[in-house]
Amino acid sequence: MDRPKIPVDLILAKLAAEAEAAKHRLERARDIFHGPLATDIGTTPYELVYQADRVRLKYYRPEAARLKTPLLLVHGLFNRETLLDLQPGRSIVHNLLKEGLEVYLIEWGSPTRRDQFLTLDDHINGYMDDIVEFIRRRHGVPKVNLMGVCLGGTFAVIYAALHPEKIRNLITTATPTHFNTAKGLLHIWMQEIDVDRLVNAFGNLPGNLVNAAFLLLNPPRLLLDKYLGFLENMDNKDFVENFIRMEKWIFDSPDVPGETVRQVIKDLYQENLLVQGKMRLGGRRVDLRRLTMPLLNIYGQYDHLVPPEACEVLAEKVGSRDTENVCLDTGHVGIYVSSRFQKETIPKIAAWLLAREG
Amino acid sequence: MAEENSGQMASEPLLAAWIKWTMDFWDTMAQMGPGLAGAGRSGGQAARETSVSESPWLAALNLWQAFFSLLTEAGTVAAVFQGIQAPSKIILRMARAGWGGYFYLHQQWLEGWQGGGSPSGKNAYENLDQDIFRACNEIFEQDFRRLLNLPHLCLTGLPQERVIRATVNFKQFQAAMAEFIYLLYLPVKKSLRAMGAGWVNGGTEKFPEDFKDYYKRWLKILEGHYMTLFQSAEYIRTLTHTLHALEDFTLAKQELLSEAMAALGLPTRREMDDLYREIYLLKKSVKVMARKLDQREPSQEEG
Repeated sequence: MDRPKIPVDLILAKLAAEAEAAKHRLERARDIFHGPLATDIGTTPYELVYQADRVRLKYYRPEAARLKTPLLLVHGLFNRETLLDLQPGRSIVHNLLKEGLEVYLIEWGSPTRRDQFLTLDDHINGYMDDIVEFIRRRHGVPKVNLMGVCLGGTFAVIYAALHPEKIRNLITTATPTHFNTAKGLLHIWMQEIDVDRLVNAFGNLPGNLVNAAFLLLNPPRLLLDKYLGFLENMDNKDFVENFIRMEKWIFDSPDVPGETVRQVIKDLYQENLLVQGKMRLGGRRVDLRRLTMPLLNIYGQYDHLVPPEACEVLAEKVGSRDTENVCLDTGHVGIYVSSRFQKETIPKIAAWLLAREG
Repeated sequence: MAEENSGQMASEPLLAAWIKWTMDFWDTMAQMGPGLAGAGRSGGQAARETSVSESPWLAALNLWQAFFSLLTEAGTVAAVFQGIQAPSKIILRMARAGWGGYFYLHQQWLEGWQGGGSPSGKNAYENLDQDIFRACNEIFEQDFRRLLNLPHLCLTGLPQERVIRATVNFKQFQAAMAEFIYLLYLPVKKSLRAMGAGWVNGGTEKFPEDFKDYYKRWLKILEGHYMTLFQSAEYIRTLTHTLHALEDFTLAKQELLSEAMAALGLPTRREMDDLYREIYLLKKSVKVMARKLDQREPSQEEG
């Protein structure tokens, strides 16, 4: 019988050394777990300035504002906006404030069954437009800067195409606009989803179903390797705190209003109407050529959720001649939490806005 | 310290006994399966290759056998304990209790296996595949469901029908979920087979000295298999089938609960949904009117 050439002595020696290291790690981790852990998210101080139904608007004031035009951040409905303020002192919101930007952030809240009939039109031409109007009045400015995050970026693109007169500059991050791509698993799966059955059964799309779908995008990494990494670093307090913050954010997906899900899946994922200029909202056609304002389009090269193919087409489809695609060497969430984004891209965004302040 | 040493000494025969049990078990397993015995012991190279492709067990079996036979060599057991020097009394006591319990449970499990008959008999699971889910469904449809289809008569007819519908849909959801989970397990099976193939049965690859390298390599292979699976038509079919089963069960459950809530005089989900829809439409109308008023006011003031 053939025997594999297994260096048992070396393997055992390494295992023994690892066992000893694990024992020391466990002792140090015990002290960390028994002590206080700072795992709160969304801790940058803000002022609640507007509320309509479940939707709220947070205002973050910089120490010294460098731009007259405020920046409105729009997150998607499938996750919480707290991604943008995950780690105290190192969040996107915090760093935008450091750059002297006045920041507004939409908090979509937690839809309940009574929100199931809210459509994409209600979110974009309703809540978003009311919020933009509020900011314009509050600051006495004709236009605001708009920055979209993930599917919130798609909302921002649609809004800017319908109301270009209210937007000075548009920034999209990890924003899908071309949905007919076989590169992302989500795009492949969505083609086959019978969204009518889904919405009829659940009313709203349950947040836990969304969580499960995200986990299924890469089970080895998200269900195994991630937690082994945690075990290996559980004696590092900073690591533990950041890990728990991220876990809190990931598994806190809200339910999504059913009618909005129906339209997002049908019109965007299945029919790919937006990029073809065929999408209609509130009785009006969404024409991307009406996006004549400067556009900064940022996406991740290794984003499996929103692959570059889904993002990069936007710059070619808009009417603006001032467009820039920025492809970062990271994945989906990495765009928002990586130190590179914090150190390099946020100052770039601030400089880009400053140069176009007018 | 003396106590620690005695604890260490006490664990060694336990570990040796456990290794022997495990060795015996894998040996028995190898002799039971015709494919395993043929390929692993007396078959030629071609037979071995065929068997590896047929049974993922073989790779793991050879690997474990080789690993455990080396473990029993003189001094190896002592070396395991030598690497972990001077643990605290608590840790050592916990470890001793943990190992002892594990050895005992494992021994019980092996005894149960060996006493339970040949794995090629009716309790065999090595041929378990997705056909079993279809077989279970057929048994349910042919033998049980027709009992549930008995006519629902008189006053209790409608509630009875709803209970049965919820039961059937729950069973169908469970079956779909089992098939889906089985599909999710397939990449694990394939990746382990791919890992073993490089080292056993004349494989020329060098076994990594650090188990972390082994893990990293396995993870990469596993990821690849998952990506292939997730893009396959079969996965998408199973995923949509599972979702449909979940949706059907959710609706059936809601209908059943609505029946109970109506009997208790509570508003049902459908009634609440109708109310929510009316509120939604009213709010929308009010908002449209408010906007129109906002637009009219300045012109009226001018007039």
